[in-house]
Amino acid sequence: MRANQHSLLIAALVIASPMAAAEVDTSEWLCESCPFESGYRADYEAGVAVVSDDAARFGNGNGFEEDGTYPVLSGEGHLTRDEYQLTWSLENLGVDSRAAVISGGQQGRYGFSFGYRELPYRLFDTTQSVFGQNASGVLTLPSNWVFAGNTGSMSALASSLRDSSIESDRRILDAGGHWLVDDRWQFVADYRRQNKEGIDIVAGAGFTQSSLLPRVHDYETDQIDLAVRYRLPQGGVTLAWYGSYFTNKNDALTWETPFGSFPGAERQSMAQEPDNEFQQLSLSGHYRFTPWNSTVAVSLASGSGEQNQAFLPYTVNANIAAAALPRSSLNGSVDTRNMALTWTARPLTALRFKAAYRYDERDNTTPQSDWTRVIVDIVDSGDVEQNTPYSFERTSMKVSAELKLFDHWRVGAGYDYKALDRDFQEVAEQTEDTGWGQARWRPVGWADLRLRGGTSRRDIDRYDTTVAQSLGQNPLLRKYNLAYRYREFLEFKASASLPNVPLSLSATLYETDDSYTRSVLGLTDAEESRATLDLGWTISERASAYLMVGTEDIEANQLGSARFADADWRASHDDRFEHFGIGISLERLAEKLDLRLDYTRGNGDSSIGVDTDSNGPNPLPDLNSTLDSLRLEASYRWSERLELSSTLRFEQFSADDWALEGVNPNTLPTILTLDADPYDYDVWFFSLAFRYHFGEREIRLAD
Amino acid sequence: MPASVETVQRYLRCLACCFVLLLSVSSQAQDDDADEAANYSRKGADSCFACHDDQVTLAVFRTAHAVPGDPRSPFGHKQLQCESCHGPGGDHAGRVRRGQERPPVVMFGSDAATPVAEQNSYCVACHDSETGLGWHGSAHDDDTVACADCHTSHAARDPVLSETSQAEVCFGCHQQQRTQSRKPYAHPVDDGNMACSSCHDTHGAMHDMQLIRQTLNQTCYDCHAETRGPFLWEHEPVAEDCSNCHDPHGSNHPGMLTQRGPMLCQGCHSQSGHPSLPQDASGLPSEAPSQYLLGQNCMNCHSQVHGSNHPSGSKLMR
Repeated sequence: MRANQHSLLIAALVIASPMAAAEVDTSEWLCESCPFESGYRADYEAGVAVVSDDAARFGNGNGFEEDGTYPVLSGEGHLTRDEYQLTWSLENLGVDSRAAVISGGQQGRYGFSFGYRELPYRLFDTTQSVFGQNASGVLTLPSNWVFAGNTGSMSALASSLRDSSIESDRRILDAGGHWLVDDRWQFVADYRRQNKEGIDIVAGAGFTQSSLLPRVHDYETDQIDLAVRYRLPQGGVTLAWYGSYFTNKNDALTWETPFGSFPGAERQSMAQEPDNEFQQLSLSGHYRFTPWNSTVAVSLASGSGEQNQAFLPYTVNANIAAAALPRSSLNGSVDTRNMALTWTARPLTALRFKAAYRYDERDNTTPQSDWTRVIVDIVDSGDVEQNTPYSFERTSMKVSAELKLFDHWRVGAGYDYKALDRDFQEVAEQTEDTGWGQARWRPVGWADLRLRGGTSRRDIDRYDTTVAQSLGQNPLLRKYNLAYRYREFLEFKASASLPNVPLSLSATLYETDDSYTRSVLGLTDAEESRATLDLGWTISERASAYLMVGTEDIEANQLGSARFADADWRASHDDRFEHFGIGISLERLAEKLDLRLDYTRGNGDSSIGVDTDSNGPNPLPDLNSTLDSLRLEASYRWSERLELSSTLRFEQFSADDWALEGVNPNTLPTILTLDADPYDYDVWFFSLAFRYHFGEREIRLAD
Repeated sequence: MPASVETVQRYLRCLACCFVLLLSVSSQAQDDDADEAANYSRKGADSCFACHDDQVTLAVFRTAHAVPGDPRSPFGHKQLQCESCHGPGGDHAGRVRRGQERPPVVMFGSDAATPVAEQNSYCVACHDSETGLGWHGSAHDDDTVACADCHTSHAARDPVLSETSQAEVCFGCHQQQRTQSRKPYAHPVDDGNMACSSCHDTHGAMHDMQLIRQTLNQTCYDCHAETRGPFLWEHEPVAEDCSNCHDPHGSNHPGMLTQRGPMLCQGCHSQSGHPSLPQDASGLPSEAPSQYLLGQNCMNCHSQVHGSNHPSGSKLMR
């Protein structure tokens, strides 16, 4: 009975909330003591930060990658006049993760925002390269370079290496706004420009040799989101348009090959990512029906992507008389269609029901042509190859129901069906059936336990080995995303906030077990386990502490064939990661000091065992990484307006990575590498800043 | 395919039977004495602030909820002030006998006595346009997540709406993703330099994983449009699903790859003329350094793994 009252009250609120306000006599609700905000308040922070050592990984995302001092400049403010508001925020202005946002408007009528943000990506600062860049953007070798067929014989290599950090900066400019025409109509517009500029690593491959190149890239993406929303008493409709326009300021990468070159192939060239654009129109809406307390939501979207960058020639080698290109640009086009329909209902207070349908299509209508490949600017292959514009259709249907039993139990079950149709690939039709069940037990108000488990079977109509063989693939190989798979999964969650005890506890467990039993070669099985435990302790109103632990273990086995027949080698993978965190927060010590101390440890360990028929087991050394991070934040309230804040941070990271360790530019005879090292650093960070507050800090009731 | 259709039909029949059974067992939908007259306080917010005058409570006046010029705001003209969200407070504000517990108002958060569905109905009554499309039946709705589990409506700056502090809020429940975010190769979410909402629409978009765009790939292209193509030479798993090779929540391997190369590539490639050779410890620098194992492994040559637009790039080397 009581539950029914709740549901009716909820339904009444959702449907007729504005009426409720109108029916209550508020003539004496003068709100005389309400401290409505008016005027200006702001906090500005200025100070200095010191970083003890260079470390690219430490500076990734924040911009503190080099030792030295950095200015600390931040602030935020708010200006209010009646319903007109202006808010601004300035973050990290002194470093490469700076951000500034200003937003405002008339609440209930219109709003706007302008933002700028930088996001630094710092990968390696130990890398070295022999390449310079001339005015045309060509990666050139030193004038005294000694060409050789292998890196060991490049006598000028050591003297030619120059520092070349692998890093980039993403700059995001954002402008947006909304306009509420009335209670029903709303217009929303947002424009973003992202610029990503820096140096990354690409391979400049030759016939049997290759050079890792420090490639300069300069990408620009403009994105526009426009939407008009119409609100109904029991739902709403949104018509939206999205446009994304990518521009690469470098069409090609040309480099001088450091190996003894073939005639005419002293310089080689590759295409960079082409300019492209994508536009999408979508219509979505939802409506609530009183019968069965149902909600139906629909989303329809149609998109079109295009790419028509002018092609580079087959080769830059003037000695090769390559065939004419079949077309000067791709005229590439991809159409996307997306549909979704969801119906949720509560036919009974105790019963929830959901049915969902989804359809996603990528229809690549790019024309096919015959191409004659020139192998790495050295020799015309003479083969004719056709480009394969891949398309797919993905359909999914889901039904589920959940029933509340007695006062403490909720049980549910569901069935998911997925189908994927592709072309030009080994598997044309693929389906996946998933059945699952779950139970939730809340024996008392402060404890909650949930268990969910099920199985899924991914099946295929057939693995077309003729497609595999046409691509030169071993017909026994089953690609893991196309192969038959049987999966079992189990998930457990528990949480408790003990009554009268200031402790909260939550734990999660997730397990999956995948079997690819029909794969002769390729991935054969995989298991994934994740577990977490969180403990929170509210010591007092002003003090709290936490402890968190998380682990993840991903195991997989695969079979391979070196002799292009059945399996003659096996690899086992075991990726483990453990995370541990502990911290304490103390507020208003002696009414003036806030302290927060956090310690985090992350430990990754990956084992790869390789066992061959010819040589037996010969595992690779473990890949290890360990992060220890200690952070102490203190804030001292000097006066009503002035605050002193300080952060002391120590971070230690060490890694063992056989892919990089001891791999100098001349370690691999046929690959000139960039001398990247595994991460290994200890960094101290200290900042001290003054924070000044303008305007009223305390909120006091009006007299 | 026919087997799957049969399975669907079997499940649907089973569900339909259960459904009819439940309908017949309990048809007690209506309640005669349902809505007692709501008893609102006599003076609205002024009644509340007679007791609730702490800074946490009063901070609501630094939020959008307390803008009198906005008729939609709880403190807008003729709105119900505190009782817009906390429900009728007449009994709560009225006199109680000594020792008698004061009747409760609507309180927020999973630990509150007010049922989550009732709490959320108060929020959705105004914020329907933000939550309407995909909230019902979303993972958050299924898990009966309260709006107040994520949102701090009395704070001048709601932590979940700020890019720098959002992840900490999300990780309160998504603990496994928190662990993954601290792996050696991950998006800079944990540091607050990227938000969970950069990829996920937490109010329940109708897309898989509640992503902000229609598909996973379209979501990734928001920041990585250089990989969108279409390319002349496509790499088929890339065009289909970025997560075939990448784990966007973090990995032990560079590039957030799901496995270390060359084994990841060998899961799909075993070419004649370019055999799938085992790469074991004999390929390390101390023995016979292998170009297939060290450095960028397969990408020492095939670096255009997202696709190539070079006429000679069919092997993804140009």
